[in-house]
This record gives sequence, C-alpha cells and structure tokens, in this order.
Amino acid sequence: MLEPVARIVQNNSAFRAICRPLANTWVNLSGYRRLGLRYDDLLREETPIVQEAIARLGRDETDGRVFRQKRAFQLSLSHAELPSPQWTKPQDDYKYLQPLIEEVRLEVAERDAFNSMTTVSRK
Amino acid sequence: RNMFSTKAAKLASRGYASVASPSVASTANGIKVAAVAGASGASPLASVSLVINGGSRFESSDFSGAAHFLKGFGFRNTQGRTSFRTVREAELNGATLTASATRENITYTVQCFKEAVPYFVEVLADIATKSKFAEHEFREVARLVAFESLSARHNAETRVLDGLHQAAFRGGLGNSLYALESSPVASGDKVRQYAQSVVVPGRIAVVGTGVDAQELAALVAESPLGSLAASGPAGPQAAAAQAVGGVQQVYESAAPVSHYALGFTTKDAASVQPLAALLNASSRVKWSSSGGSTSLAHLAASSGFGIAPFAFGYSDAGLVGVVVSAPRSLIKNAVQLVAEGIQKNVALADEQAIGRAVAKAAVDAAEAEGTAAGQIEALAKHALGQGMGKALAVGELKSAAESVFSSKPVAASLGLPQDTAYVDTLGF
Repeated sequence: MLEPVARIVQNNSAFRAICRPLANTWVNLSGYRRLGLRYDDLLREETPIVQEAIARLGRDETDGRVFRQKRAFQLSLSHAELPSPQWTKPQDDYKYLQPLIEEVRLEVAERDAFNSMTTVSRK
Repeated sequence: RNMFSTKAAKLASRGYASVASPSVASTANGIKVAAVAGASGASPLASVSLVINGGSRFESSDFSGAAHFLKGFGFRNTQGRTSFRTVREAELNGATLTASATRENITYTVQCFKEAVPYFVEVLADIATKSKFAEHEFREVARLVAFESLSARHNAETRVLDGLHQAAFRGGLGNSLYALESSPVASGDKVRQYAQSVVVPGRIAVVGTGVDAQELAALVAESPLGSLAASGPAGPQAAAAQAVGGVQQVYESAAPVSHYALGFTTKDAASVQPLAALLNASSRVKWSSSGGSTSLAHLAASSGFGIAPFAFGYSDAGLVGVVVSAPRSLIKNAVQLVAEGIQKNVALADEQAIGRAVAKAAVDAAEAEGTAAGQIEALAKHALGQGMGKALAVGELKSAAESVFSSKPVAASLGLPQDTAYVDTLGF
C-alpha cells in the first residue's frame, strides 16, 4: 500500500546520499563480508518466490553462491573469519538475486491478478 | 480498460480480393504487408501472421538448429509482456496462437476475431523485436525442441524426407528442419543473435486474412516493427540451391517396414505440384477397384506396397518424388518397379495423363487455398516474393515431366543396407 511511496523515497538521490555512510557502517558492523558472503546470499530462501528466483540463476552465479555459503558455514563452525584480503569487496557485493526475486514476484502477482479478475462480455 | 483501439471497427471492411491476387502494401521501412479481406459479413474471424525469412536454409554451422529454437521461442516473454499474459489474454479473446517453421520461413500466426487484430499486431511486433530470450525460458524451449527432434527422428517418412533434402541440396535447403541434440545453440543469447540477424525489414512480411491491407500496413507502421531500421545488415544469405543428382542418404534400420524416398529436383517450383499429381497414387474417386488412374497407382495396388508422392517448392528450387514403403524383404523390388514405372510411363506420359494431372493439380491448389493455413502460406509467398509461378499448361507440363523424370534422382532410404536399392542402379 505504501510501496510506491517507499520506492520514491528509496530512489531519491539526496536521501541515498544521506544514508550511504550509515549503510556502509551497518554493513561493516554486521560482518557478513568478513565471512566472504554477499548480501543476496543471506536473503531468506525458504519461500516459493525465492526458490523460483534461485532456479533461474545462471550457472556461474549458482556455483558462486553455493561455494560462498559452504565456506561461510565452515567458518561459522570453527568460529573463524576470513583473512582481510579475502573479505568480500564492495564491488562484488552486488544484487545478483534481488532483481530476479522482483521479476518472479511480479509474475506471481500478475497471475493472481488474472486469476481473480472479472470479465465483462462486450455483447 | 478497453484494450482495442477504435480503428478496430474499420477493419471489417469490404474487399473481394482473392488469395491469387491479394492486396499488397508495404510500410515506410520496407516491411511487406499482404492481406485478403473476406467479403464483409461473411465471417467475424481474421488472422494475422508474422512471416520471417529465417528458416533452416539460412543457418550457418555456428547456428545449426537456431531456426527450430526460434520457432519454439514464439509468444514467450518480451520486455513489456510475459508469456503468461500473452497466452491468457489470447484465451480470453478466443484467439489461437501458432508458430511454425519451414526451410525458408518462420511464421507466427494469430487467428482471432476481427476486433482483436490491432492488439495482436502489437503482440506479434513485440515478439519480433523485444523478446527476452531468458536463460530459464531457453531451458524450457530446449526440452520442447528436443522432444520435437526426437519425434521427427522416429517418424519414418519425416526422417527420409529430411535426409532426401540433405542428399539433394547439401547445405542451405539441405539443412535439417530439426535441431540436433548436440546443436551449438546452447543458450538464449545465441537464439537472440540469430533472431536479431533475421528480423530485418527486408526479410519480414505481415500477412492477414479478413483484414484490409492498408489498415494492416498502418497498424504495422505504428507498432514496434515500424521502428526497425530500414537499412542495416541484411542477415544471413543462402547460396543459390544447387541440386545434386545420383546421391543417396542411407539410414540403417531393421524395422519390419522399410521406406525409400526417390526425389527429382527441378529449378522451377511452380511445376512441383502438377508433377506430383502425375505421380499420384491416390484416387479422387473413392472405392474404385482400379486403384486410381495413374500407372504408379496401379502398380502399387497390384504389387502390395505403398506409394506416397511428395512435392516441395522453394523460392529457387523444387523437389518432387515418391516415398515407397514396403516390407523389408520387398523394398528393393518395389523401388525397382517404381523406378521403371517412372521412366516408362511418367516421363513419357501421354496427353491424357498430363491433362488429368493438370486438372488434379488445379483442384488441389484451389482446395489448399480454402484452408486458413493454405491461405497464409500463399500470402506469405506472395509478400516475400518466393515464387508463386503460374499454372502450367499441358504442353509445358509434358516437357517438364520429360526433363525432370529422366534426370538423375536423389534418394534417402530407411532400411537394411543389404536390402536397399541403390539409386545409381535404378537406370536413370
């Protein structure tokens, strides 16, 4: 309901400029990059939409995702972190899954809309 | 929200053009438009087809099988509309969506009510210019293409006719209609490259039945097709079809029924239907005991094997002949009898037989034009300049029969090599 408003606020460049240093601090404090992960590796995947989005990932991205998750799991078992040269670089922490999730979400919404619409006969 | 523009009402216009002389127009960037408007009030139905001159003939070795994949990508996700929405809206409108591919053209057809034509012209323009060719869709399309190729490979007649084309024309027209399992087209990107090379204004036609050509041209000009660049790379060109005689494609099979396709090539595609009528083994008079009026029909009926004539016409070549089917032990003898029959009775057919063949070909052509698919094909050939040709007279058919049926044939056989008649031993 407030999604269009949220989208406008989020895409406003002034707003993003204010948030960026706060966002970077948050990312560094959360520490997922120290485990070699990307943000999109941490999205909750136990929903049908995200499962479909993951099924649509290309081979390279799928392999990278599986490797990063395995490595991070091993690090968390051994209560260790990667040495700093191997932390995820900011340019590698891009949204590889969120656009696909959005695509699948729109497709599901479209299907629901078509399934619940009423048709009016022209005659 | 009314998805149909107001100009839809104007489309139910009067027109008495026949398929033989359709109204032809073209858009500013060179897309040909041909249409036949049915008599007003005759039928509320119309059809619009997008014909792309990018069939298997134009595949280079890097894109072997691309035309089959491009046909499978019909009506899939585009930038502005998902495949689900296209299909669901077609269902709500009562429209039928079809995609088909021949060796020369790939055709996407929509059969719908007349009021829906402007909407479906937009749909066709979108799939031509804005298809996404996404990787997850490619995986689905690849499964469909693999199934179609498998079915074709296991259909004997399809397999021998495909092999016959390869024997006769080698590359170009000889390329298989069906993508191989090992096709180099392994991603949506490759299909997109092929699509972008063939979706060029000089190679596209939009044909319609039940619509007016000028209205259809206006709709096409307003759609995304109208903004394709008129000048640019012309896309893959096929070399002129060079037919080779005396070549045989042998497929090994120990099935109980063997098949043998014997074909004769010709430069003039207009002659293939009357020539096939000369070879025809079926009768227009059902339940007749003589098994048809042609000599080959008599031969087949009395000797107990099957003959099916075929005729393929392309823009610069034709292939006409028969497929002989017989039990494995009889196929060699059957093919030799058929070859003798062609040399004696068909190549040197008398005036009466030629006259009957001309009449039969005329009726067959008229019947084909009565079907929706036949009309669309005839319009597409007219629009793309792929050689309609005029009907042959008796004298012309006689000389064509003499020259074509005494030339060296090509063959494709499906059976055991020990039991196969080889084409160079048939006496041509």
